[in-house]
Amino acid sequence: MINMRRMAKRSEPYVFGAIVLLCLLIQVQSKQFFTGNNLVDLARSMIVPALFSIGAMMVIVSGGIDVSFPAIASLAMYATDRILLNVNYSGNVMLAYAMAAGFGLAMGAVNALLIGVLRLPTLVVTLGTSSLFTGIMQGALAASESPVPPSILAHGKEKLFTATNTQLGLTSDMPSQILILLGALLLVFLLLRYTMLGRGIYAIGGDEAAARRAGFNVVGVKVFIYCFVGAMAGVTGMVRASMMMNAHPTNLLGMEMTVIAAVVLGGTRVTGGLGTLTGTMLGVALMIILSNSLILIGIPTYWTRVFTGAVIIIGTGVTAWQAGGSGRRLASSGTGL
Amino acid sequence: MKKGLVKLLALLLVLAVATPLVAQVGKSSKPSKDWKIALVPKDSTNAWFVRMEVGVKQYAKDTGLNAFQKGPAKTDAAMQAQVIQDLIAQGVDAICVVPVDPAALEPVLGEALKKGIVVVTHEASFQENTMYDIEAFNNADYGAFIMDNLAKAMGQKGLYTTMVGHVTNASHNEWADGGVAHQKATYPGMTLLAAEPRVESEDNLEKAYERAKELFKKYPNLKGIMGTSSKDAPGVARAIEEMGLKGKVFVSGTGLPNENKTFLKDGTLAAATLWDPKDAGYALCSLATKILKGEPIADGLNLKLKGYESMHFAPGSKKVLLGSGWIVIDKKNVDSFGF
Repeated sequence: MINMRRMAKRSEPYVFGAIVLLCLLIQVQSKQFFTGNNLVDLARSMIVPALFSIGAMMVIVSGGIDVSFPAIASLAMYATDRILLNVNYSGNVMLAYAMAAGFGLAMGAVNALLIGVLRLPTLVVTLGTSSLFTGIMQGALAASESPVPPSILAHGKEKLFTATNTQLGLTSDMPSQILILLGALLLVFLLLRYTMLGRGIYAIGGDEAAARRAGFNVVGVKVFIYCFVGAMAGVTGMVRASMMMNAHPTNLLGMEMTVIAAVVLGGTRVTGGLGTLTGTMLGVALMIILSNSLILIGIPTYWTRVFTGAVIIIGTGVTAWQAGGSGRRLASSGTGL
Repeated sequence: MKKGLVKLLALLLVLAVATPLVAQVGKSSKPSKDWKIALVPKDSTNAWFVRMEVGVKQYAKDTGLNAFQKGPAKTDAAMQAQVIQDLIAQGVDAICVVPVDPAALEPVLGEALKKGIVVVTHEASFQENTMYDIEAFNNADYGAFIMDNLAKAMGQKGLYTTMVGHVTNASHNEWADGGVAHQKATYPGMTLLAAEPRVESEDNLEKAYERAKELFKKYPNLKGIMGTSSKDAPGVARAIEEMGLKGKVFVSGTGLPNENKTFLKDGTLAAATLWDPKDAGYALCSLATKILKGEPIADGLNLKLKGYESMHFAPGSKKVLLGSGWIVIDKKNVDSFGF
């Protein structure tokens, strides 16, 4: 177990190295990377994908795959927004987050029931529920872009501080929603590191039968994961709506691929059992820096997809090669697990 | 059972193929007070078409004719066909349609034409079973119009670039091309940013905002962005506001009034451009009436409405009529639209 985690850790320096190289390239090309406002812009862009990636990482570590979180986030956010608008809500924004988390939890429970209790394949289930939740939003709720209640609007305008770029005099605001990301990271870190539940997530991803024999409640752990990830997705949907000061029903859809790519890039093993929060955050950072710097590097729009694809292939390739390499070393040295 | 279904489908198919282009005349022998003119929108609950109905009601009031709007409760091609079927059964004299899916409506519109009902469409330039199709504008001209707004805000000089939803989106790129061509011909003081002549917003407010921030960091001399997707202008405006570039950098583009209200009012966004569904609704009814009266429909058609005073056939078409029905939304009129 400990050896496995150490092994996963070994792919992190490579991702970190890739980030450093990319940052230097951007700095050389634009002279704008290491400026206060650019760093704030990047941190801001990371909030939503990073929140999603925490949940996606937990699911992948447990041996599953979830593609329904953008649909859960969208429906939870949109339903909350519409209800609050209907009652002319003007109270605390915490209620909005709690409601979105509640809706997300309910939708996550559907996944949990199908995957944990009925033992259906995760990809098939989440593809299905993703379509189901999107359908409810577009059919039953007839979703279209809508404004947000005044308290969420005010929350969206809150900023922790403003960074100024001394060269160009440009300013960028750090949104207060970054605190939610930091809170979620701390919570999940403690959960994975110090609780039996957290150990169980790694254990069932490593070998489900062995985990069961070791005394883990496999169904319970799975039900927990999908409910928790659903609730987190709901909160993330509300984070996005408040940051954009607008409830857009479809604007998160399609994000699952970027997020899963970032998680895998960060060294989480797709077959489960391995993965760290540090690696995941590095993976997200690499993807976000990349997608927010192509203009800074000076790559014309027509070539951005080629460049992005190349970085993902090289990045995951190095990670996979590294994992394979350590496996070989491990085998030849005969230490085993 | 199954065979019967196949036969029925085959029959429908034959009908659909056999019926188009019957009786292009359409002149009604009834007195005009008995005419019933129906407009079928894509979706009667959508704000865009709620606005269109205002135009239809206005037309009925102005002319005293019986013009009304009746549409499906949601954007659904099958439901829309049903609504048209019902209207045919009620014996309306003219049907104006904004099709959800032009191909899906061919059979039912063919049936209407066969029964001598006047059929006109909007936003359906490839519709077979229609007498005429009205388009609010020519794409290149609309792009030139967005460029005029940007040039005005920039004082006709400086570096600019264009933003589209996707580089593969036909109309956005036609608008952007039209805008760039117009700039080259009319505003020699302006230059297109050669390194990034076209940026993608992915029709996404967040992306438009992020791309704009990058552009302003990388190209400090950039003075303007011409947006095309309805998400471009509000996204760029947010970036301008946050980065403290108000009054130094400008944006123009397509935009819905409600979405841009804040930026128009505080001056971050000089003007958003749009075509008004109310005018399109009015123009459709007006065209249907002309056909019912038996008036000739020729190039240069005047529907007596701003933007639709001199309509021209699209190149190579005898059905598609282009207007210049765009409007500017600014600080002063943004509250008057209701959508």
